[in-house]
Amino acid sequence: MFRINISTKIVSLFIFSALFSINLSAASWDVPADKKSKNSFIKFNDASAKEGEVLYNKNCASCHGNPSKGNVLKSLKPTPPDLASDGTQKLTDGELFYILNTGRGLMPSFKNVLSENERWKVIAYMRSFNKKYVQVLSNTDPSKSELVKVNMQYDAKSNIVTVKVVAKEKTGTVVLKDAEVILFAKRYFGKLQLDKSMRTNNEGLAYFQYSKDLPGDKAGNVELIAKINDEAYGELESTTKFKIAVPTDKPSLTEKRAIWNVLVKAPIWLIITYSFGVLVFLGFLLYLVLNLLSFWKIGKI
Amino acid sequence: MIEKEEQPKKKSRREFLQQLGIVGVGTALGGSAILAGINYDKNKTDAQRIRVLTAENELLEIEKGDATKIIPSKHGNLTYLQQQGRDGIAGKRFVMVIDLSKCQNARKCMAACQHAHDLRPEQHHMNVLKMEETETTPPFYMPKPCQHCDNPPCVAVCPVDATFKRADGIVLIDNERCIGCRFCIAACPYSARIFNWAEPLNAQGDKDKVYNVELNVPQKKGTISKCLFSADQVREGKLPYCASACPNGVYYFGDENEDAVTNGTTKETFRFKKLLEDNGGYTLMPELGTKPRVYYLPPKGKTVPFQDKDREEAAEHLHHT
Repeated sequence: MFRINISTKIVSLFIFSALFSINLSAASWDVPADKKSKNSFIKFNDASAKEGEVLYNKNCASCHGNPSKGNVLKSLKPTPPDLASDGTQKLTDGELFYILNTGRGLMPSFKNVLSENERWKVIAYMRSFNKKYVQVLSNTDPSKSELVKVNMQYDAKSNIVTVKVVAKEKTGTVVLKDAEVILFAKRYFGKLQLDKSMRTNNEGLAYFQYSKDLPGDKAGNVELIAKINDEAYGELESTTKFKIAVPTDKPSLTEKRAIWNVLVKAPIWLIITYSFGVLVFLGFLLYLVLNLLSFWKIGKI
Repeated sequence: MIEKEEQPKKKSRREFLQQLGIVGVGTALGGSAILAGINYDKNKTDAQRIRVLTAENELLEIEKGDATKIIPSKHGNLTYLQQQGRDGIAGKRFVMVIDLSKCQNARKCMAACQHAHDLRPEQHHMNVLKMEETETTPPFYMPKPCQHCDNPPCVAVCPVDATFKRADGIVLIDNERCIGCRFCIAACPYSARIFNWAEPLNAQGDKDKVYNVELNVPQKKGTISKCLFSADQVREGKLPYCASACPNGVYYFGDENEDAVTNGTTKETFRFKKLLEDNGGYTLMPELGTKPRVYYLPPKGKTVPFQDKDREEAAEHLHHT
């Protein structure tokens, strides 16, 4: 009896944990209710779908293939869905937007890759494969983000960049509280995130720690990009140039003398040896000619 | 005898006057021509001058009559493209980081590369190799492009200056100069170079294209081709074809001077040196002193099984693009 008891306990524990893990994975696929009902402020039409297609081909097609063609990347586990399929199309716009924002498992987040407008356009493209789809437009005004003013300042002593976010409404200046702020340094191919993403405090301020060893341009300038995401005012980016980076002016890689470099940049020893060799050869030829000449002269007498 | 010698030196009055006359008339004619020219220049209106933009982006004003219309030939800007390709992008030192722990042999990089450079299916600038170093160590997939060495043996052996290294670190091949001697193939310790033995894949379609040394298109039969770090993409601030096609986040590409590399899949940017430090980055065959610009992160914690089946599936993807 005791044994049975233990084994049932183990079995039940196993079942429980299995159920729990299924629940857990299912839970991670859930989208919060407020995000689920989010709608696009961009109208889904042929124009927006066309712009979305370009973005889709660049960012999504390598895994999800071309919608409705079924050419998804089957070697991935789990296999990514065809985005024209019913399973995807039955999701709300808000759910699709949330997935694009956060990413899932192997799928990366596109929050910092595509702007909010661009993310909606990708969804516009996906929706163009669903004939039954009827769009519900959001009543948020995208032009509201233009009212937001971002002010960045830095303190070289403590290595802190302060970002202040306010909105210049007609009624006066409104401080944006609890808005998400992400600070990036501009790089040639992308944006390098500095510190974690922060939320503004009651004064609309967010503080970021930056490292002193970040390379900048010749003068030590670096372009900082603050990305603001606010429930009421939407998404925007603001760029400011600061002299907080290490001045970087490395010589070009073809500057050095090397055996593989162009003729004028060849190693000195090589130039000398080669020139000497050529001179010796020419000298020998001259010697031969002079000797022949003296023979000829002797012959003439 | 003496009289005869002296005679030619003496000038008769007639001869002198003759010469003076010629010089005088010449001067008068020349002077009037110059005067007419100055007058003509003075009277010129704005309508007779036109503005032209040079290839160096300089705005010049020239006379209408002086301008010759260039009939656009199909090889018109060849020299410009080739010069730009040789110079490289100032102030940059491009690097690539390949994370072996993430490679699942999807072969999307190879397909994108072959598509961009008009390569035959058996020609690889980028090749995903099957690696099994000993019987006891786990096998893994290793994408292998040209290593774009800072001390390139291939460039040192080229007898015609066809292959060269640029200021930004990229090693390229100029198919218009290449004589097909294949010394560079023999010199490269990474087997990164291929030879166009047969007529290139898209020879007919590419016939009228202007040769771009940063793309190696059109490919030329009897010449070398190799990985270019997608120099044409990089010029526009875009990631290489292979890096942006990868679905598994294997590739990072960036500028060493900026100490930043961007992942081709997630587009997330990392500090280059920290990425190498944290993950034990290494280069291939460092003992040769070639100083590669391609870095590898070891296949640590690789969860994807190594199967022949993957290969077959990958072959199927090559036909999609």
